[in-house]
Amino acid sequence: MGAMLRCSGLRKAFGDIQAVDDVGFTIATGETYGLLGPNGAGKTTSISMIAGLLHPDAGDIEVVGTPMTPRALDAKAAVGLVPQDLAIYPDLTARENLRFFARLQGLSRADAGARGDEVLEVIGLTDRADDRAGEFSGGMKRRLNIGIGLLHHPKLLILDEPTVGVDPQSRNAILESVEHLSIEGLAVLYTTHYMEEAERLCDRIGIVDQGRLVAEGTRRELIATIAEQDVVRLHVAGDGAAAARACDDLDGVTSAEVEGEEIVCLLDGAAAQLPALLGAVAAVGATVDGVEVREPDLEDVFLHLTGRALRD
Amino acid sequence: MLRAATLILAKDARLRARDRSVWLFALVVPIGLTFLFSSIFPDTGELELTAGVVDLDGGEVAAGFVDGVLPGLAEADILTLVAFEDERDARSQVADGTVDAAWILPDGFSEAVAAGEDARIEVLVTAGRTLPPLAEAYASRIEQVGLALTTEVALTGTPPDPALAGAIGAAAAEAEALIAIEQETAGNGQPLDPVSYLAAGMASFFVFFVVQFGITGLLEERQLGTLQRLKAAPISPGAIQLGKLMGAFLLGLASMTALSVASTTVLGASWGPTSGVVILVVALVLAAMGVMALVGTFARTAEQAGNYQSIVAIVLGLSGGVFFPIPGDNLVMQIATRLSPHGWFIRGMDTLSTTGRWTAVLPAAVAILAFGVVAAIPAVVLERRRSSW
Repeated sequence: MGAMLRCSGLRKAFGDIQAVDDVGFTIATGETYGLLGPNGAGKTTSISMIAGLLHPDAGDIEVVGTPMTPRALDAKAAVGLVPQDLAIYPDLTARENLRFFARLQGLSRADAGARGDEVLEVIGLTDRADDRAGEFSGGMKRRLNIGIGLLHHPKLLILDEPTVGVDPQSRNAILESVEHLSIEGLAVLYTTHYMEEAERLCDRIGIVDQGRLVAEGTRRELIATIAEQDVVRLHVAGDGAAAARACDDLDGVTSAEVEGEEIVCLLDGAAAQLPALLGAVAAVGATVDGVEVREPDLEDVFLHLTGRALRD
Repeated sequence: MLRAATLILAKDARLRARDRSVWLFALVVPIGLTFLFSSIFPDTGELELTAGVVDLDGGEVAAGFVDGVLPGLAEADILTLVAFEDERDARSQVADGTVDAAWILPDGFSEAVAAGEDARIEVLVTAGRTLPPLAEAYASRIEQVGLALTTEVALTGTPPDPALAGAIGAAAAEAEALIAIEQETAGNGQPLDPVSYLAAGMASFFVFFVVQFGITGLLEERQLGTLQRLKAAPISPGAIQLGKLMGAFLLGLASMTALSVASTTVLGASWGPTSGVVILVVALVLAAMGVMALVGTFARTAEQAGNYQSIVAIVLGLSGGVFFPIPGDNLVMQIATRLSPHGWFIRGMDTLSTTGRWTAVLPAAVAILAFGVVAAIPAVVLERRRSSW
């Protein structure tokens, strides 16, 4: 499979803030690549550079073999962008929105009309085509927002947190659409801070934190970095930080982090270690209200790699 | 680039057409205010003129004008005739506003008319007097009577009967004019009649609000999130700006055109020769774009830009005298009008109305454009600095 996107060494700073620091990855045809990270991790800045909206301070970007810059029109023509915030005209109808952006992508008037109608069908808004977008529900607006990104049959579709603020039903519809696009052979770059979405949609995932790509791989590969280990969640009343430090000092415990009122411990052999954990918590004067033992997921990988939860 | 700019322009036009505020600023409010203010001013047809004549010629034709035409106007209550000691006295009284106007019949006037040569009557109009309909009417009558007098003198060689001069004047209406009228305005005159003045003032005032809709378009796109999408499209970045500027220009032009047509047909305003009006209008729209663009660069949102721009538009409009004529003897206010593109626009319209020559508006047009250029240069620099590319 050929690479639809190839980027390397991307850097971008805003004043003293290093928003993106040496980020690089590739996406192949038909592959869905997820950028997983908390808000402010540098996901949107990264895709802004990839979509040609921002000049990187350093690094290279190639879309379908063509270098991407804000003036690289050929490279831009290969990209469909679905911004995080809604990017539609509320005073235009759904059909007018689609036709305008289709014309802007270079389609003729006739083709824009026909393609607009096709996309209306895909996003399930045919019966509301002539209603103003401002009258739509949040989920319908999101679908229209995505539909605009599909108008010109892009080779690379970039979706920036497309399910933020969407009701569960619409969210599921959006995720199904992305799955369908991937099956059709579209390369998809999907940013999210929802672990479940990354696990469900993405062939490979890049974990970003504070502007850096801290890990990359398939879900299985990422979890394998902490594999053979268990995750124990202790719901603690009392000094959680002291309890976490006490747990972290135990032999066989890889990490122990405070996440809200819980201590998340990554360790070898949960069954054998559990009495020691409970004892360590009790030793600092805290009490354990509940215990959960399970296999690790991407959330745990992120916690293990960054020391912070995805939702922090 | 032009294709993409045109697409953006067409999209904006569709959005604006659905935006009631554009119609309000572009047409409804200016026309309404012009109508309202014009009703406060007296009808120019009811104005009475206090004027006199200085006959330096003393010939037959001049006598016919002095003894035949002017008394007829006095009898019609249009004119109150006063006597001048000499030309100097006439110029002095016009200059200080003691009288509204004076006619100077130069030496050799009658001979020139009789010989079929170019003959001129000089008309002096005092400062602050708005008299164009009357002046035009006088000019027309004088031309007609002048022709008739020429015919009479040629036939009889005697001074014409005043009654006869009036009667044959009408019959000569279609004939070629031999007498040219030179109208000179003393000080800073306002040849525009009140309705035309207000129409021009309102149009110039509101065009600064109307162009806002185009100029703040980038901020609106940014707020809607669509700017990101436009930037991501395979179009030149300049096409977005060009589309917005084209929208602002056409919106301003359409607003002023609509207002000039509406004020002419509905309110009877007279905007003067089209070529001169076009030059002034284009210059003003461009100036409005430059000034509003500069003001807009200091705003973070379209609403904030609208507020800033409204303040600037109101200050410039008021200082330019858009709502009422600025008295010629008020030095401070006269200076203020020169610091406002609105003031130069009205000055240009005055000049156009007075002279009827499009070339006469060029100085005002250049001054208006200077405002636009001086404002546009820093606006472009600031916008580029703020822009992410």
